[in-house]
Amino acid sequence: MEEYDFLIIGAGSAGLPAAIYAARFKLKTLVIGEVPGGTITTTHVVENWPGVITATGWDLMETLMKHVKANEVEVLTDKVTAVEKKGEFRFLVKTAEGKEFAAKTVLFATGTARKKLGAPGEKEFENKGVSYCAVCDGALFKNKAVAVIGGSDSAAKEALFLSEHASKVYLIHRGDKIRPEPINGDRVKANKKIELVLNRNVAQIFGEKFVKGVKFKEGGELALDGVFIEIGATANSGLATKLGVKVDEKGEIIIDVESRTNVSGVYAAGDVANRHFKQAITGAAEGVVASFSAYEDINAAAAKKK
Amino acid sequence: MASVVIYSTPSCVYCRLAKQFFTEQGVKYIEHNVAEDYGKAEEMIKKTGQQGVPVIDIDGKVIVGFDKSAIKAALGLP
Repeated sequence: MEEYDFLIIGAGSAGLPAAIYAARFKLKTLVIGEVPGGTITTTHVVENWPGVITATGWDLMETLMKHVKANEVEVLTDKVTAVEKKGEFRFLVKTAEGKEFAAKTVLFATGTARKKLGAPGEKEFENKGVSYCAVCDGALFKNKAVAVIGGSDSAAKEALFLSEHASKVYLIHRGDKIRPEPINGDRVKANKKIELVLNRNVAQIFGEKFVKGVKFKEGGELALDGVFIEIGATANSGLATKLGVKVDEKGEIIIDVESRTNVSGVYAAGDVANRHFKQAITGAAEGVVASFSAYEDINAAAAKKK
Repeated sequence: MASVVIYSTPSCVYCRLAKQFFTEQGVKYIEHNVAEDYGKAEEMIKKTGQQGVPVIDIDGKVIVGFDKSAIKAALGLP
């Protein structure tokens, strides 16, 4: 079985930068991720990664991937199904394709999954008008009427992206104010295709073969061809909690400023961790700090043995 | 030689992964960009009753999503 110093779970904007630093610390490193590039590849435009005025999420990740490969770290596309602690600084990592790896330290850069609305019709109409990714599916709604459910900056950005294809975009939010980055708030206001629908909760998504519209808890309905659900995310911390890693009430992995968790040899970075203000760049910083902490911890453990 | 068709959109990550996989395996494929080609978009929706991409058609066997094991089976790969 292959043994690594540092095993990174997640190949997104937190895991890949960590891999670059780990390689330069001469840690034998492996990255295992389900989706090369991670969540940010579903963002059509990134304008706030320092040094890059504007880029697609995909292009940004391609440059990161190139940097990782230039530092000769292998990135496996696979799903980690189990992480077991076999001793101090000894972990066993198993994957869906039946592979097993031993590692001294593990970094959870596993990101988040899309939060579901939990409304009737949501599951039935997935890919039949219901989507969780405007970038992925928006182009299929040319000249149609769509809605984005959510009040965050991501929801506003999705609405802006969809307005390039759809004839009409409703931004449905249960609160009385949407909370985008001010720059995006201005763009939403100025966009003639986007209409805000505030103080409304979607009770049901209905249709026949495909989506026809939504019904509101407050009464009334809206005729739609597409519904994009952008109401937040749930941290993918299940594998970590099985190891005894502490999470907060939202299920996010608790880390200190050096990206360490409560379990020695285990670190976390990015959207899966408990920072308040989550961005690609903050996740990247947590990732590289994690690789330094792993480097320190491995050296300290080796010095103790002598 | 299998006839492989992929319905994709430019921003779809799994579509890119599927195409990378085909290239690695030396499998030739035809790509339809359903974001631009509305006729092909309708064809894809008719074939699968849904709009998710990628949709991969291997000799008439239609696979929704980058389902590696189903694709390998359809191509007769180990």
